[in-house]
Amino acid sequence: MPDFSPTDYAVPGFVLLVLIEMVWARRLRREAYEPRDTLTSLAFGLGSTVAGLLTGGVFLALFLWAWQFRLFDIGWQWWAWPVCFVLDDLAYYWIHRFGHRVRWFWASHVNHHSSQHYNLSTALRQTWTGFLTLGFAFKLPLVLLGFHPVMIAIVGGFNLIYQFWIHTEAIGRMPRWFEAVMNTPSHHRVHHATNPRYLDRNYAGVFIVWDKWFGTFEPEVDDERIRYGIVKQLGSFNLLHAVFHEWIGIAQDVRRAPWRHKLSYLIREPGWSHDGSRETSGMIRARWEARRKSVAGENPIAEPREAA
Amino acid sequence: MSAQALQFGGSLLAILALAWLAHRLGLGGDARIRDEAHLRELAEEALCGFEPVAVAIDRAGFAALARDGAGRIMLLRRHGAHFASRLLDSHANARLDRNLLVVGSADKRFGEVTLDLGNDAQAWAASLRRL
Repeated sequence: MPDFSPTDYAVPGFVLLVLIEMVWARRLRREAYEPRDTLTSLAFGLGSTVAGLLTGGVFLALFLWAWQFRLFDIGWQWWAWPVCFVLDDLAYYWIHRFGHRVRWFWASHVNHHSSQHYNLSTALRQTWTGFLTLGFAFKLPLVLLGFHPVMIAIVGGFNLIYQFWIHTEAIGRMPRWFEAVMNTPSHHRVHHATNPRYLDRNYAGVFIVWDKWFGTFEPEVDDERIRYGIVKQLGSFNLLHAVFHEWIGIAQDVRRAPWRHKLSYLIREPGWSHDGSRETSGMIRARWEARRKSVAGENPIAEPREAA
Repeated sequence: MSAQALQFGGSLLAILALAWLAHRLGLGGDARIRDEAHLRELAEEALCGFEPVAVAIDRAGFAALARDGAGRIMLLRRHGAHFASRLLDSHANARLDRNLLVVGSADKRFGEVTLDLGNDAQAWAASLRRL
């Protein structure tokens, strides 16, 4: 059984690439980085590794316990690695999708989205409270199929490393064949965007094909400036506020809500409210679509792509 | 354990060094609200469909107020290299000091924003009190 954590070896590369991107930003786009935002994002990264050290062992122990009930003895054959990598990425897609569609999961994942910047330091902006969500449950089927928990942890590490480089505006588009299959900076910029057109799209980790198959793919359009962050921007660089704001918001909403609606504030989508006073991503997109159609009706050449 | 503490200390130093470097390189730019068109763009970005019918931009371009046809008032202020906003409601507070208007939203974390609005400050203070 290999004792190997790929992310440990990748960290120096992460630092080097952040440095290179900062030099790029100085030459071409100074606003691509903001020192306080960078500090917050990197502190998120450091805190998440501490949280991982404290809680990772519990999940590994749980997976090792579940492994005794496996259906097949897959072992450590060479072919098991790529198969495990692909299936782990499929599990990641669903974890990620739930992370955006269930507020309890979102409370943890929102940390990764709360920067208004999109650069390599944003990639390291990882949650401290992932252990409070049920994300690990999505990988249990892999364990029960017979993939060793350590193998799942290693391919998960490589998945995380892959996702680092796509958090950049310094790369436009990759070759067409690559964009068709793989998650890329272009696809992932869409995912981090708050433009109504892009909300809750492109959940993929490594392979963008999951989004295409499950109907959540949205290509990046060149003539619309992307805005990053969350619908209600934090407006603060306070690290602890950034880490816990959504958990606090959930607690306040549950406390104030009538009994029959309390659970909904945990399991419904972010933005849902029992009195309709807030907006979900679906409501925002619907309003945007309605306005777009209305503008196109008044001016038939306003949206030439749709008219074609 | 000591190795992990060392790793934590080293990582902490590295992230402080990176943030310091970002500062030394002058990254972040100098975000200002340039004019009314820019403000309209920012308001639309902050809240899809928000179309201001009246605006007031801080003289330095750090913040602004905008009112739409439905009577909603949006407070925008600079946040790093970008802008953040809040819709103001009855929990908002406003203090007037000659041409300076200090506005706070219901979200205390968002902080109070001081806008130099010149002669418009008084009128906006009055409209905020009517919320």
